[in-house]
Amino acid sequence: MKIERLLFPTKFGEVDLNSLESLSVLKDAGLKEVILFYVIPREEVGFVPYGGYLKQEEERIREEVRIRFEDWQKSLSAKGINSRIIIEVGEPVPNILKIAEKEKVNLIVVGKKKKVAHDGPFVGSNTLQIITRSKIPTLVSKYLVQFEHEGESVTRTNDAIFKRPLLATDWSEPSERALELLISLNGLIEKAFVCHVIGVKISKSIDKTELHRIEKESKERLEKYCERLKFAGIAAEPHLGAGRTIMEIIRISRDVKASMIIMGTTGKDRLHDFFLGSVSHRAAGMSELPTLLVP
Amino acid sequence: MLTIKALSIICPTFQEVIKKNYTEIRDYRKEFKMKTIILPVVFLLMPFSTAFASEGAPNIGETLPLYSVIPFAGMLLSIALFPLLAPKFWHHHFGKVSAFWAIVITIPLLIAYKGAALYEVLHIVLADYIPFIILLGSLYTVSGGILLKGTIKGTPIVNTIMLAIGTALASWMGTTGAAMLLIRPFLRANANRKNRSFMVVFFIFLVANIGGSLTPLGDPPLFLGFLRGVPFFWTFNLLPHMLVAAGILLIMYFILDTYFYKKEAVSAPAPANQSTKEPIRLEGSLNFLFLLGIIGAVLMSGMAHWGEVSILGVHRGLQDVVRDGLLILMAALSMFFTQTRVREDNAFTWFPIQEVAILFIGIFLTMIPCLKILQAGAKGELAFIISAVREPVHYFWITGLLSAFLDNAPTYLTFLSTAMGGLYTGAPESEAIALLIKENPLYLMAISAGAVFFGAVTYIGNAPNFMVRSIAEEAGTPMPSFFGYMIKFSLPILILVFIIITLIFFR
Repeated sequence: MKIERLLFPTKFGEVDLNSLESLSVLKDAGLKEVILFYVIPREEVGFVPYGGYLKQEEERIREEVRIRFEDWQKSLSAKGINSRIIIEVGEPVPNILKIAEKEKVNLIVVGKKKKVAHDGPFVGSNTLQIITRSKIPTLVSKYLVQFEHEGESVTRTNDAIFKRPLLATDWSEPSERALELLISLNGLIEKAFVCHVIGVKISKSIDKTELHRIEKESKERLEKYCERLKFAGIAAEPHLGAGRTIMEIIRISRDVKASMIIMGTTGKDRLHDFFLGSVSHRAAGMSELPTLLVP
Repeated sequence: MLTIKALSIICPTFQEVIKKNYTEIRDYRKEFKMKTIILPVVFLLMPFSTAFASEGAPNIGETLPLYSVIPFAGMLLSIALFPLLAPKFWHHHFGKVSAFWAIVITIPLLIAYKGAALYEVLHIVLADYIPFIILLGSLYTVSGGILLKGTIKGTPIVNTIMLAIGTALASWMGTTGAAMLLIRPFLRANANRKNRSFMVVFFIFLVANIGGSLTPLGDPPLFLGFLRGVPFFWTFNLLPHMLVAAGILLIMYFILDTYFYKKEAVSAPAPANQSTKEPIRLEGSLNFLFLLGIIGAVLMSGMAHWGEVSILGVHRGLQDVVRDGLLILMAALSMFFTQTRVREDNAFTWFPIQEVAILFIGIFLTMIPCLKILQAGAKGELAFIISAVREPVHYFWITGLLSAFLDNAPTYLTFLSTAMGGLYTGAPESEAIALLIKENPLYLMAISAGAVFFGAVTYIGNAPNFMVRSIAEEAGTPMPSFFGYMIKFSLPILILVFIIITLIFFR
């Protein structure tokens, strides 16, 4: 698993270019092409009540977007990265997912790339839909965030996201794939961290002996993950947590000063997703760090 | 839920007005004629003089001034003109425009007629607008979950069959539903054809309008008639009219398409590789079950009589309330059981139905004075229209011509009220409709056919017209302008068809 082509959908937020530029280091990990993608919402130009379609308006928006993208392309070109522009009319979420599959990209970059309210989630509804439905690894980029930490308001710029990644694993197949993706980024990583959380549900429902057995087994598995990373030339450190899974992952990420969280994500059924959301999706919403979700 | 008692606290005259049931009719007309000279100026500043309000007016149709229909005209003219003159402004502000006209009429009405006006407002919202939007919304939601996929080659015969199927489906899934189901496959089938504009125009004629003439599900005006007491299957009386109109149009289409197909054959691209050919299939077929549920619910409400419930003082049949609940349930089931991908491939969006909901609350509120005056018959300020429109042929053409330029749903109601006002002045609405069907069915046929058929004459005649146009233009099919559509297509083709319909059925 290697990131050679990434899809960068944008609505031209205030720090989107910074966010894009922060990804240019991926060139050293094999990135060849960036697809810059803009969706003109159908409602902006279509279904004028009793009127039809605003063709001229669509053309005007296309031209504006093209000019802005061409400016961005200069920046990418200076870093030796090829890029292409795609502009479509439609609905953002399905169009992003469709174009990602059609163009066979290895990574989709989504998410709020600007300051967000410190009491709200770090992902919007469109981002949540994309990470829930994407069959392609998706990075929830959070270039500039504001959040509450120990009673203080903190503003953080996530500009060197691949330096200290934290892999949160539940030993699933997607977690394995997340590990492989992490290994493919070896040229960019200063130190990696691997964590696993023994959830409240497990610790509540079993006796002490069984808990010790699981603890021992988890530590051994964490060591194996770290060994694989070290074998690929990446310094790695294991961490075992216990308690509420998401809060533990966030606590560990802060303790080790991680720059990003990587997680495998499994497709749950619609009811489960509707009422609960998966751990990975909730982690993406609650952590202030960029979150790379690998299906 | 507010009760009549609670409402009477808000508006002391409300209970009294309900009890009297408009039996107390006073002749304000002499005084009113004087006021009509002065009040147009006052109307803008302080509408419907509060002095007049204090007198109370149980039968408001007999005392409403002619200028009270101005907001209705303004609302309909806004729909007709803004998309032409200022489409971008209209696209972003149509809700404000609709709210403006609604407020301009509703507040003065409430000040002037207090409880009587409040009752009329509540009645039109609860008994007409909400069921109307629920039906349109449920049909739109359910049909949006059905996806026709596969490789279809747009030959003249295939296109004609598609149009015929769409025409037949329109009466059962609504003109909007049938149009949304078929327009994208129709456009895809003809993507390699050079001349596509005329195809979409005929699609608008047949699928988005004329096809919807057989049931109250087909076209909004017919559902409004159903809500007012026209039996569900009565509209099947329009079958001969529909067959003649659709038959002529399908034959014309086939001839035109064959001509262009032959002409284009030289430059047509090589046929697609057989290996890329996708078999024709329907996805989301479960939605046909929900569609049957909708048909069943509407039928049930037309047959069952389970007594009445009072909602905010407005009496509604329990079966109607149950019907609305079932329609919402069908839409909810469709949303839950249809794969998201199917709706996305259909480019399903709530925006068009939101637009209709926003615009129609304005239309329904502003049309109250017009309907009430017309229902007052010779005693109302629009008596001159009632006396001028006498024969079925008049109703067919006047309902039709106005439906072409104004939305056909309010136009239908307006002329239904005109006919009832002219033939059965003073009779309660349900009684008048029953008498109209029994004694003068040709009038109702003329109004129904006029409202449905003429909706195809312009882009603004019926809601699906603009949706089809928008989808076609987005897909790269050049569509004629507003006047181009009329001059090149609807006037030379449709008017000829309507003359034939007149000669056969309404002479």
